[in-house]
Amino acid sequence: MILYLLFATFIGLLYHGIHRKAIARVQGRPGPPIWQEILHTLKFSFKETWIPKTASQSLFIAVVFVAIGIWSAALYVLLSGGSLLLLFGIYLLHKIVEHGMGLSSGSPYGKFGAIRSVISAASELPLLVTIVAVYFFTHSLSIADIVAYQEVHGPLLIVAFPAAVAMYLVILSKMHYGPFSIIEAKEIVSGNMTEHFGVWRAGLQVGFALKTYVLLYAFVLLFIGQLPFVLMLLVMLLILISLSFVCAVTPMLSPYDTVTVQSLVTGALVIYIIILGVIMG
Amino acid sequence: MFNLPTGNIGGQELFVLEFGDIVNYFSPYTAALFVFALIFTVLAIVSRPERQVDIAFGGDAYGAKEVSIDLMRFQRFMAIACGLATLGAMVSGDVFNFTLFASLVGITNIGIVAAYRNRHVLNAAFQYGIVAMLATVPLFGGAAIILASTGTLSMWELFADGVAVPIIAKAFLVLGVMGEGMAPFYVAKAEITRAQGAPFILMVHVSSLLLFLRVIEIVISM
Repeated sequence: MILYLLFATFIGLLYHGIHRKAIARVQGRPGPPIWQEILHTLKFSFKETWIPKTASQSLFIAVVFVAIGIWSAALYVLLSGGSLLLLFGIYLLHKIVEHGMGLSSGSPYGKFGAIRSVISAASELPLLVTIVAVYFFTHSLSIADIVAYQEVHGPLLIVAFPAAVAMYLVILSKMHYGPFSIIEAKEIVSGNMTEHFGVWRAGLQVGFALKTYVLLYAFVLLFIGQLPFVLMLLVMLLILISLSFVCAVTPMLSPYDTVTVQSLVTGALVIYIIILGVIMG
Repeated sequence: MFNLPTGNIGGQELFVLEFGDIVNYFSPYTAALFVFALIFTVLAIVSRPERQVDIAFGGDAYGAKEVSIDLMRFQRFMAIACGLATLGAMVSGDVFNFTLFASLVGITNIGIVAAYRNRHVLNAAFQYGIVAMLATVPLFGGAAIILASTGTLSMWELFADGVAVPIIAKAFLVLGVMGEGMAPFYVAKAEITRAQGAPFILMVHVSSLLLFLRVIEIVISM
């Protein structure tokens, strides 16, 4: 499992690099090399590190370990075919990491990032809709059962397409440089990550790399099914590049527009769920 | 001896904790939520609060807000109480106990915010108090409807096939939890930027989120 964690971290960081490269190429810039995020993480690991005088020290450090811990747990849940509800729980707990990261430093920029993180809570609701839709078809929230269902009945991507779109939006809302990336907008420096630098930033990079890997893996597993490993990585990469295109051509929304768009999408998906409930009894 | 009827939702129970006829359970799902609540409760115990930096409007001056010892002690007490109530709510195997813990979370959340001697923050705390108080009606009402319609409040019985829980009771439970977990209301107002104090303030959000996650499991399972 430890080896797999290292592998997932490496691939997650590589995907972040490819994401940046793809955005740059779409926008007509050369962009950084695709291994840039791996180099960043290594560089941060050896930079001088300290804790701001105004910070709540224990929390400031703990959120970094919590970030790595929850996404390592999420990866384990995915690989062991555990509960989709648990994966949803972990995804929501990431909000506490984002929030704690910003609140703990005492910095106003961090705090604004933290507040934006909580007001964009609407981004989590599409995932709940996804779970309900998947449950309607499979009558189970066990990931192993969902994969087995698709082996018999075909990919859920076809029969539950709106749910797949909801999950796609969930991943998009967590991508760097995306339309919903308001928590790390440049007008508030780096938002909730502003004061985390050095080893702490490297730790966060590791946690976020695991998050990207888990979310992309979960999308493929839930809506396409179990694929051979190399093919799985390739499909994940294709989804990532499609997300990069969206990020490249969409400007960052204002915080309230973000909430509005996410709420409208959630409302549309709730209507879908109600229709699904009526049709499927 | 025990067999959780909804193993395909939050996973099979790993461990049960019996208090007479009330049987709390740790499934992979509830155990994960419990551990998360425990981590942040321990953090509330061991941490000193942040000192929020404020920039003077229209100028370059800035200063760090100090947290007095008295304020820190009271907030820490409330944050720990909030953590303990959350821990209880995470593993409760009884709907009535869950609602009790949820209302205790609401009370302690108000306590954390109301500790500040700032007129704006106190006004906000008063409003959250009203929301939390109103939310107890659907919260306990939901539990009462469940008891009246099924004859039990034990989740072990309610999660079994063939036990029909009215959808209005489920809706009331969710509505009650949303009112008790006041994080979305709190953060949508400006008061959070006036009130310093991570990790104690963070407990408001931790408890709200965990309550929401637990009630989702309960409602889906019933």
